[in-house]
Amino acid sequence: MGLLTILKKMKQKEREMRLLMLGLDNAGKTTILKKFNGEDISTISPTLGFNIKTLEHKGFKLNIWDVGGQKSLRSYWRNYFESTDGLVWVVDSADRLRLEDCGRELSALLLEERLAGATLLVFANKQDLPGALSKEAIQEALALDEIKTHHWCIIGCSAVTGENLLAGVDWLLDDIAARIFTAD
Amino acid sequence: MDAAAELSQESGFVAESGAAKMQERLQKRHQARIEDAERRKEDKERQAVAEEKGEYFSSTFNGERACIEELLSGCSGADRAVVTQILEEATAQTVQLQKFLNDSTLFLTQYELRQAQAALQKLQTSLAETREAALPKKRFAFRARTKAADKVAPPVSDTASPGAGTFEQSAQVDGAAAFEQCGFSNMENELLTKTSDEIQKRDVLLTHLTNCKVRLFGSPSTLHLKHIDSCEILCGPVSSSVFVDHCRNSILALPCQQLRTHNTTNTQVYLHVTSRAIIEDCHGVSFAPFSWSYPNLEDDFSVSGLDRDRNNWSQVDDFNWLAAGTPSPNWTVIPEADRKTNWDS
Ligand SMILES: Nc1nc2c(ncn2[C@@H]2O[C@H](COP(=O)(O)OP(=O)(O)OP(=O)(O)O)[C@@H](O)[C@H]2O)c(=O)[nH]1
Ligand SMILES: [Mg+2]
Repeated sequence: MGLLTILKKMKQKEREMRLLMLGLDNAGKTTILKKFNGEDISTISPTLGFNIKTLEHKGFKLNIWDVGGQKSLRSYWRNYFESTDGLVWVVDSADRLRLEDCGRELSALLLEERLAGATLLVFANKQDLPGALSKEAIQEALALDEIKTHHWCIIGCSAVTGENLLAGVDWLLDDIAARIFTAD
Repeated sequence: MDAAAELSQESGFVAESGAAKMQERLQKRHQARIEDAERRKEDKERQAVAEEKGEYFSSTFNGERACIEELLSGCSGADRAVVTQILEEATAQTVQLQKFLNDSTLFLTQYELRQAQAALQKLQTSLAETREAALPKKRFAFRARTKAADKVAPPVSDTASPGAGTFEQSAQVDGAAAFEQCGFSNMENELLTKTSDEIQKRDVLLTHLTNCKVRLFGSPSTLHLKHIDSCEILCGPVSSSVFVDHCRNSILALPCQQLRTHNTTNTQVYLHVTSRAIIEDCHGVSFAPFSWSYPNLEDDFSVSGLDRDRNNWSQVDDFNWLAAGTPSPNWTVIPEADRKTNWDS
């Protein structure tokens, strides 16, 4: 890539968004990210630290941070909060046994001051599994209707089939853009 | 909760002036850096190449990193207030460094990006270690952390036992739709089998099994095992992940894409894994290559989409053993002479 292209891209900085993907381990965060970006999903390992992906979508430059969700990594999540425009919370919809954990971690995040300005997209992932809970059931289990502090939306999706990933990201971008780029 | 809020405020207060100063300094440094970069770009606009950007990145990145490391080294022997302040500063700087890396991803090679990510991760680990060493956990309680600590109480939904047998349990959160979980639960001293038709492409759950032999002939989409004691569980190729929690004194044999093992002790795993196996809060877990076989195994491998030729069974990541260069004491390879070869009994 030539430097001029780089410079041009850097000029678009005001059209940049920072998205943070969090959720319990095994929820499918990395798989969603790679599938969305058209990459191979069969070789994905559990995330030891974090992945950053920068991609262009709908004229925005998205900086997407995918942070590992294992218990031992959750205390590091807060290192990634700064300047987050959108929080993507990924749920394994078939993991009923950990749904309570999942809700607790999410409500703790929503109290974080540094995430106060972020739009929340909840992906009810793994909808392709026969045992998956519907997005309505997840919405209830996570008490999303009680959230008054953030714009939020829940979308049922599957990282394996790719179903609804685009719809989710598009909603998120529209919501963020309406908040921060209205001056354009 | 009250106490924690107060404490977090306290540490916020101690660090306030330092953090503000720090912010200012960082801001200036950032500004200078950006201006410098702009000047260089303009100077060289025509002949400059991405390579130079990379060099500029590396030198700045490494310089900043060295600063943070130096800051951290000031923690040893320092008193609490100083340590708190240093940690705040180091954390803020690390965040800035992350931002810088993030802004630079466009022109970095994959290799440079990886290197930088690894360096950042290391930095975060030493930050965390310094924090643990210098400040007893309680004093440095952040609100989110305190929440996490509340969780120690056993999850209610998990201990309520549905009737023994194959589940016919309606969803705990979705009372309306009757839902049939595929699997076994609350059984003792049984031989339990499922056929391919019953489990193919499904999510299978085994919970609260003691002294059972389980044979799953087929290719499920995913498999969860929880509260397993003294069992032998053999399963056909699982197309995505296998999640194991609270398992002890057992033998597992399965192929899968990912194996995620938690709170497990004294358990042997005969494994075919195409990406990685991980353990967390485990000890006495041992691994050998998958060797169970049954008539339709090859067909089920095709259904699962797993690569028959890629087996990383011996590359296990221990999430409680990341920093050191020495191997984790929590898992071992089963010596060849001790591996199980007869699965028929
Ligand atoms: N059936 C099904 N499996 C999925 C889906 N999304 C992810 N998976 C599988 O779930 C497992 C975990 O996915 P990852 O993307 O590694 O999960 P993660 O959230 O990044 O996990 P950590 O990195 O540990 O935080 C993998 O085996 C994926 O193939 C989905 O929509 N449907
Ligand atoms: Mg991941």
